[in-house]
Amino acid sequence: MKAKILALLIVLTLVLTACGSKGESAAPEGTIVLRFWVHTNNAFIAGYEAAIAAYEAEHPNVDIQLENFDYELYLQTLQTAMPAGEEADILQLFGTWTSQYYERLTPVPAEVMTVEQAQQTFYAAPIGGFIVDGVLYGMPQEFNMEYGGVLVNKTLYEAAGLTYPPQWRTMDDVIADAQALTQVDETGMMSVAGFHFACADPTAFSFLAGIKQRGGDYWNADHTAFTFNTPEARAQLQFMVDMVNAGVVDPVVFNDSTNFVIDAFFQGKVGIGYIGSWAIALGQTNYPDFADEWDYFYLPPIQGDPVFVADSGWGLTVSPNSQHQDIAWDFVRFVTANPEIAAQWNIASGTIPAMPAVAESPEIAAAMPWVPKALAILPYGEYLGNMPDRDLVVYEIIYPHVLNALQGVETVDQALQAIDTEANSTFR
Amino acid sequence: MVRTRNRNDRRRSGLVISKRRFVASVTIPLLLYESLGIFVLGWAFVLMFFDYSPGRLGGPILGLGGSNPFVGLRNFVEMFSGDSVQATLFRTSLRNTIIFAVAVLPLNLAITLPLAWLLESIGNRFKSLYRTIYFLPVLTSSVGVALIWMSMYDPQAGWINAIIRAFGGTPVAWLSDPRAGFANVSIAMWAVIIAYLWQDYGYNMVIFIAALQGVPHELREAALIDGANSWQAFTRITLPLIRPTMLFVCVMTMLSSFQVFDVIQVMTNGGPNNQTQVLMLDIYKSAFRYQNMGWAAAESFVLFLVVMGVTLFQMRVLRTDWEY
Repeated sequence: MKAKILALLIVLTLVLTACGSKGESAAPEGTIVLRFWVHTNNAFIAGYEAAIAAYEAEHPNVDIQLENFDYELYLQTLQTAMPAGEEADILQLFGTWTSQYYERLTPVPAEVMTVEQAQQTFYAAPIGGFIVDGVLYGMPQEFNMEYGGVLVNKTLYEAAGLTYPPQWRTMDDVIADAQALTQVDETGMMSVAGFHFACADPTAFSFLAGIKQRGGDYWNADHTAFTFNTPEARAQLQFMVDMVNAGVVDPVVFNDSTNFVIDAFFQGKVGIGYIGSWAIALGQTNYPDFADEWDYFYLPPIQGDPVFVADSGWGLTVSPNSQHQDIAWDFVRFVTANPEIAAQWNIASGTIPAMPAVAESPEIAAAMPWVPKALAILPYGEYLGNMPDRDLVVYEIIYPHVLNALQGVETVDQALQAIDTEANSTFR
Repeated sequence: MVRTRNRNDRRRSGLVISKRRFVASVTIPLLLYESLGIFVLGWAFVLMFFDYSPGRLGGPILGLGGSNPFVGLRNFVEMFSGDSVQATLFRTSLRNTIIFAVAVLPLNLAITLPLAWLLESIGNRFKSLYRTIYFLPVLTSSVGVALIWMSMYDPQAGWINAIIRAFGGTPVAWLSDPRAGFANVSIAMWAVIIAYLWQDYGYNMVIFIAALQGVPHELREAALIDGANSWQAFTRITLPLIRPTMLFVCVMTMLSSFQVFDVIQVMTNGGPNNQTQVLMLDIYKSAFRYQNMGWAAAESFVLFLVVMGVTLFQMRVLRTDWEY
């Protein structure tokens, strides 16, 4: 009997220990353990591992444990862990999500960084999303620029007899090159898209940038409603439809689900591929045997200044449930606002720096030659704005209707009317 | 004598105690497990009356109220009469789910029943081999099946279009052309239906084989002696006798069709133009992509009602009052 009671006590102790440990692994006495959650992206993770190693070298009593989740799983994990107060000490957060999560986040302490300091330290677009109602909730690591950047296949350019590197002064020059690059097979199906811009982010962000560059806006004056059914939006969408009619891309065969721009480009099926520079590291990782020569360039504006909008990209924040918030914030500042560490992370992840001081550094120019090309237009980047549900508006409203217009399923007017009605319905 | 009775009584009471212990050790974990399930269902039931997002702090009790306000039946009213993007997507998803289920059930029966009959009629030597081959897709991961079919449907490199090209036809963008359709159903929906049928048909086929094996040969032989041909024997004898199995197959196929998710999520993610957006996918996106848990719970409740209604209808139509 005594043996049974003893056995039960041992099992109970083990179970309670397992329940209470919160997944912390054994660490030497006196060591402060911080859990750090990020989404799975091997290039990003390599950057974080280097930053953690640098921080731990300076702070031997701190052990930062990195845990990564597949993107979709990360969203679900945040949504279930945060209400339960079980999230990690340090969280990777997409800046634009902040307006949806800020009630469950902790403001950045003034001694770490004030709003004014943040606005001086970072570009406007990356920091914009981390500020809700004048309060700073995190610090950005990248300039998430989906507008304007294109992968260009030099091999296809030379095969088509075009001048390389491209000398684009206007979008007409781009369209002319794209028409020469496009190839169609014997059955009439497009086999090489001259200018593939029909994926979700490029389509949505070039549409929004086009509205801005034409002097319009998709927000009303006080940002309480969307205004998509405007002459500027109509002109921009018509311009995109005209590009399809000019034969630069077949949006039925080349879109987000079929021939996604990164896959299609690194398989030699795209001459000019519209995608953010984050695609470079991903493409090189996924297609190491791609033999064609290529480079990354920026498109000319539709008209006037290259005004564009951008999300606040990936950055870091701290859980209000962390037992060591001061150290967690110190680590966040170390990774995001220390120019040397921030530059190393941007190089490892292939992302555009969120800080002008880093973006303009020779170190970045040497490692990522496409960044200096972007320097002239980065200051024109504006934050997208705090939408009630950014993903719903961009991926379920703007992109599907713009794609419908490109595919000829809806007219330009029908698409704009639908975008305007549906986007405004998200405010309810 | 007294000592023997005492020993027996003690043994009996010991048996009763050990029986009680066994019942308790089995029942308590089961009750705990069930109560967990009931709590989850109850939580979903409560959520559908709230505009609840896990990103918001909400009120002090389970995050309900405050910035996650009580909305009563507004979610349901919006679903069936609203003009928001969520309401539009819900109605589209419901329609697509019904199309999918209504197409899958007869097609599945049209494939599995004759195939089972054919397999049942061949010699024992090959029966197991064929049964194994036809059952293999059921054992394959849905994601794997979806990826295989995606590669076959590829507009440029897929072998389906290669065959079409070889015969001088025009290739089709099977999974991404919103303009192409057949019988008022988009071509993308047909494409995912075919992939789903391919993976699923082996399951029903095995069940039908078991049912056919249970039909007494004497009945069929008597019918043949009385002058019935094979078709008449099948439709007048075999088919009525396997009606309970038919009911089971119909109910299970309908249930799984209404809950289709993985194949469609991988192959089209609801596209093109939401033509393959089904309810389970819409619920998943609402809950986990757009953090609209209250809305997703309300959608789940509607799906539950639809599935229950269809199942009751099938049970009423295919019910049998006799046994053999």
